[in-house]
Amino acid sequence: MTSLLDSVRLYLAYASAAVRAQMQYRASFAVRTVIDSLVVIIDFAPVYILVRYFGALQGWSFAELALLYGMVGLSWGLVEGALHGFENFAKYLVRGDMDRLLLRPRSIVLQLAGFEFQPRKLGRVAQASTVLAIAIWYLEFGPVALAWVGLGLFGGVLFFTGIIMLGAATQFWTLGHTSELQNMLTYGGSAALTYPMSVYTAWFRRVLTYGIPLAFVNYFPAIAALGRTESEGWPTWVPGLSPLACLATLVAGRWLFERGLRRYESTGS
Amino acid sequence: MPGFRSVPLYLQFARCSFQRLAAYRLANWTGIVVNFFFFLIHAQVYLAFFGQRQEIAGWRPEDAVLYFATSEALLMVLGAIVFQVYDLGERIRTGDVTVDLVRPVRLWERALAERFGSALYYLLARTVVLYAGARLVYQLGQPPRPELLWLPASIAVAIAISGLLIYLAHACSFWWEHAHGPLGAMNLLLWFFGGVAVPLDFYPEALRLICDVLPFRGAVYTPVALASGRLSGDALAFGLLHQAVWLLLLIGLAQAVEARGVRRMVTHGG
Repeated sequence: MTSLLDSVRLYLAYASAAVRAQMQYRASFAVRTVIDSLVVIIDFAPVYILVRYFGALQGWSFAELALLYGMVGLSWGLVEGALHGFENFAKYLVRGDMDRLLLRPRSIVLQLAGFEFQPRKLGRVAQASTVLAIAIWYLEFGPVALAWVGLGLFGGVLFFTGIIMLGAATQFWTLGHTSELQNMLTYGGSAALTYPMSVYTAWFRRVLTYGIPLAFVNYFPAIAALGRTESEGWPTWVPGLSPLACLATLVAGRWLFERGLRRYESTGS
Repeated sequence: MPGFRSVPLYLQFARCSFQRLAAYRLANWTGIVVNFFFFLIHAQVYLAFFGQRQEIAGWRPEDAVLYFATSEALLMVLGAIVFQVYDLGERIRTGDVTVDLVRPVRLWERALAERFGSALYYLLARTVVLYAGARLVYQLGQPPRPELLWLPASIAVAIAISGLLIYLAHACSFWWEHAHGPLGAMNLLLWFFGGVAVPLDFYPEALRLICDVLPFRGAVYTPVALASGRLSGDALAFGLLHQAVWLLLLIGLAQAVEARGVRRMVTHGG
């Protein structure tokens, strides 16, 4: 228990150091915060424009699409904000910053997570929470539906943490040449999940369900919450698998990261 | 005053930029996979939105698929994703830029030369593969049209426009500690007002008007729509004129910003 508390304190120390460093340049910090808030607001605009232009998407109303967007946006936003250090992992490897972290007698995962913490990334969390809250209010969700949303968010956090670790782990072998692949799974994955899985053709849907279990992050919990698991063509027990599928991704990411770490040989001088 | 004598120098910058990218084959294949993934998402989502309908306001489902096949294939060429090997903003911050200033080449001119070099690389290494891939998955046919004769010029101007916009974002480092914020903004502006996720035709009227005034459609929408057969007649004339006007404006702006920024800069050390 003390070690957990110690870890939390360490993470907060890293985060606050990063915040203080960024606050040294107030104008730059302010500009970036304003721009980032605009980014996340505009991010949702295409969904609105398309629904306005085409009408509902195969029976999915704007509020229901907002539910999908809010769920994936919130879980990804939390992970992106809390684990920002992993996104620039290739850079730390190439520059040798990694050695500095490895010398310290604390969990490397935790140190990386808090490294160069970016408070402005929390803008996405705020925006996605707002979209999600409005969707939930509009759809008049009861306690059961809310529980499904909560389960989806929990799974999403596990899933994206796993993906970020998987992406970072591959850098041990490719040193940044494949960092775009991670972006595909995180940014591309959240783009894909903004729309219900049922709009995709069979093979693509299979890849996103059984290959990379993206569908378990928001689609399955959302159809359970909306009470349309069966009308979407799935047995009612499938959404219940969501946390398991997401946990599996996390375990895979953690495992590959450990393997990569064991292989790590530093950059030399 | 750099003149025609500097042309070989610019070509050398372009060449180096090309070679730098060509050195990382794996990165290019990864990029192709990512672009194709986004293409597949866009194509399928739009087909689903069309549903049973054969046409909406002059757009058929296959037009939308062709639009996104073209846009994903050209995104890196056009520089619509802010990504530069030569990080000018960072060089201004660290003071390394003094080395660049010693050369008889303006910073914005160098940035453009490099942008054209990398655009050529992406055209050969990415556009061809992505377009061929898209044709394999969806039957994309389009008859050759006389408008396509404008395409090379439109693409070249678009590369220059996005290159100048990104240069201007980097140049913010002359005033602020770094250029991350403006660069992020540029990325978003190109994405949203350039019509990367949604063709501008689908935007509400008022928003459409704003897009027609801002420079960003000149960097993305005009060449992509032209290449996918969505521009002809007056719309084409407007698109090309818009590009030309913004190109001149941005060159003037880049000149002015550079002159002021450099005068303002203080570098320490010896």
